[in-house]
Amino acid sequence: MIKKSLTKTMNPGVRFLINYAVPIIFVILVAFAIPLSGLSGLYFIRELMLRLSRNSFLILSLLIPVMAGMGMNFGIVLGAMAGELGLVFIMDWRIIGMPGLLLAILISTPIAVLLGYFAGIILNRAKGREMVTGFMLAFFMNGIYQLFVLYGMGNIIPISNSSILLPRGYGIRNSISLLGIRQVLDKLIPLKVGDILIPVATLLVVAALCIFIVWFRKTKLGQDMRTVGQDNEVARVSGINVEKTRILSIVISTVLACYGQILFLQNIGTMNTYQSHEQVGVFAIAALLVGGASVAKANIPNVFIGVILFHTMFVVSPRAGKALMGQAQLGEYFRVFVSYGVIAFSLALYAWRKRVEKENERKKIMNYRKSILAK
Amino acid sequence: MSKRIIIRTTLVAVLILIGIFLYTIGKEHKVLIDNKDISVGNVICSASTTYVVRVDDQEIGVIKKGERNVAMVTGTSHKIVVEEIKGNVLTGEKHEKRFKLKTSESATINIPAMINNANEWIDKTN
Amino acid sequence: MKKNIQNIIENFGLPRIIIFLFLVLLFILTPFVGIRFDTSINDVIVRFGMNGILVLSLIPMVKTGCGLNFGLQLGIIAGILGAVTSIEMNTTGFTGFFTAIGIAIFFAFVFGSLYGFLLNKVKGDEMVVATYVGFSSVSFMSIMWLVLPFKSPNMIWAYGGSGLRTTINTKGYWFHVLTDFLQIKVGSHIVFPTGTILFFALLTFLVWAFFRTKIGIAMTVVGSNTDYAKSCGINVDKMRSISVILSTVIAAIGIIVYQESFGFIQLYTAPLFMAFPAVAALLLGGATVGKASIKNVIIGVFLFQSILTMTPSVINNVIKSDMSETIRIIVSNGMIVYALTRITRVRT
Repeated sequence: MIKKSLTKTMNPGVRFLINYAVPIIFVILVAFAIPLSGLSGLYFIRELMLRLSRNSFLILSLLIPVMAGMGMNFGIVLGAMAGELGLVFIMDWRIIGMPGLLLAILISTPIAVLLGYFAGIILNRAKGREMVTGFMLAFFMNGIYQLFVLYGMGNIIPISNSSILLPRGYGIRNSISLLGIRQVLDKLIPLKVGDILIPVATLLVVAALCIFIVWFRKTKLGQDMRTVGQDNEVARVSGINVEKTRILSIVISTVLACYGQILFLQNIGTMNTYQSHEQVGVFAIAALLVGGASVAKANIPNVFIGVILFHTMFVVSPRAGKALMGQAQLGEYFRVFVSYGVIAFSLALYAWRKRVEKENERKKIMNYRKSILAK
Repeated sequence: MSKRIIIRTTLVAVLILIGIFLYTIGKEHKVLIDNKDISVGNVICSASTTYVVRVDDQEIGVIKKGERNVAMVTGTSHKIVVEEIKGNVLTGEKHEKRFKLKTSESATINIPAMINNANEWIDKTN
Repeated sequence: MKKNIQNIIENFGLPRIIIFLFLVLLFILTPFVGIRFDTSINDVIVRFGMNGILVLSLIPMVKTGCGLNFGLQLGIIAGILGAVTSIEMNTTGFTGFFTAIGIAIFFAFVFGSLYGFLLNKVKGDEMVVATYVGFSSVSFMSIMWLVLPFKSPNMIWAYGGSGLRTTINTKGYWFHVLTDFLQIKVGSHIVFPTGTILFFALLTFLVWAFFRTKIGIAMTVVGSNTDYAKSCGINVDKMRSISVILSTVIAAIGIIVYQESFGFIQLYTAPLFMAFPAVAALLLGGATVGKASIKNVIIGVFLFQSILTMTPSVINNVIKSDMSETIRIIVSNGMIVYALTRITRVRT
């Protein structure tokens, strides 16, 4: 007897609800919390515009590994670290303005490629466990990064700008001002609508990335990745070098994440040397999942819907928490809870669906065999 | 095979050149501006009045007699414009000088020396 | 001869050997950097007692094929609930300690059942789901700690605030009840925490004995070969659930022992990452994602805690700076990454 899988229910309504459970729950949550927070519509639009331009690039960098079947790439943290290293160097050399930004990108790219390659190799050796491994790898690299930045810089790596060093003489400070390149891309093409500053150049860059991703899907490499993502064996038989393709998808993702982090930091204007990249992975992945993506499928609309929903929740939580329980701190914890909870829920849902479908496949085959034998 | 190597090496070389270019035009330099007495050779150029100073497109502001101010400039070639101001009115006396800074240099400019067209009006240090 | 060495390296894993040699080096260096050898050993033993049970709790789940319990935080939360409630009830000494354990076991049972149910639905992806379930529950409990109606003045925020403090002192309640129990003083610098070690030994024995019972053996079979287990008539899901509950309960006891020894109950975000050192220690002791034994626990905790104790003291004196946190991150997470990349499991 085949267990009727919920995902194969005839009723398209139920199917829609299950496939998009996460965003739907989110919309409800947000709709509930917005009036609670008492923030104005104008404030929202301004915040959302800001966050869209700031975070989208990073989240877009997650799409390619999903295409190649690598799941949610926690390795984007490595890309973020590469970007931060680039920024540390330009701050050390005191390069400002657009040249500074471009130089940071130039320097951090090879670092990102190397880290991405390393991550790709490790993930290839943990097939079937990519997400946990990626997650732990990010923590591990954080340790190496600390070794490098907290102990190596100023010591083995000469730093001439002492204002970014810790008082003890070596090791970078916890928080570096990026004043020299602050909003340098955002303000490149200034456009003001009423009171709101629209970062035209940044948005153009994000749009360019979207176009790149759409184009990439159609290239041979992109098609190869999709085949690898569908089924490793089929890909191998068609002559695709599965291992290399997977590594490539991670490298691309890491480099994009590197740029994304630089973009993010240039908007904020300060860099938390040791904290900025920690939450990058979790928040980006949570946002993508909130936008309706799954471990096996993620597209561009998921990114933007995710940013809007997730960041609205972000903005709203502290105030709503205060209004509800009198403690803004509650809102903070709620934010973190929701981020982790969304990932846990999406992953569990996805894993469950995957299993149920596999079971059904198996049972179908067994029944077919049985019916053949019975003849 | 060797064609690939040539293309790749050229690409890397181009990127390095771009990097050096960006480094040069983006590097920030510190320029100190003094309105102080200074002895040039045997002559003393004294600072007598107040000046309004502008470096490249930045308004540095008013530097009174005996004061010092600082300008942060980016890149290699710069221009400094100094206008005398008495009371709150520009007298019309205006001096302009151009200077270049190498990547690792910072400079100190002395206004009286500059006005008298002395050679030592700018002092560059690494 | 070379083949033999190669075999040994392959079997133990290069990282483990590197870490072991590193440790030997540290031990040799102790007298030269002005650290007392016996105090170091003492520290290691005390920390062994503190952390041992938490690592022990990982065994049931690994044995049934549920993977490494990255959701250890659930057991820890149950333990914290037990501890906090026992203080709220103003119980002290051994009574307090065992009350805490009793309440913790109750919560652990509840949490473990739900957790087990969830894990059964996501067979094959347990570890990644567990990680995030663990994280979300810690975050959720952070909200709860603020909201739950606890009244004991030693636990809530000072100036009339509501909600529990971030760290709660166990002094005056059941701090060191185990550690001081049957304490053995050797010389002036060594205080052997007999109570804690005895308790650990007791639990270890119980776990060992459990896996020799019918249920225990059934669980092991489920872990090695699920299909064979099914054909033997074993209810795979039920065995997995039991292992999850068992793991959670042991973890709950483990964190209470930890708090008893450490002196503080840490709430809010402290438990977030507690699963990782425990997992890393187990892996360091020779376990893999699919196989773990008590031997792994003992070796692993010893090695891991030695590194944690020795590295700061020795290296800080040599390099004159505190690298302990960074080294801990590298060692513990590196071990986990290494273990994750080593296995080729045949999934059913």
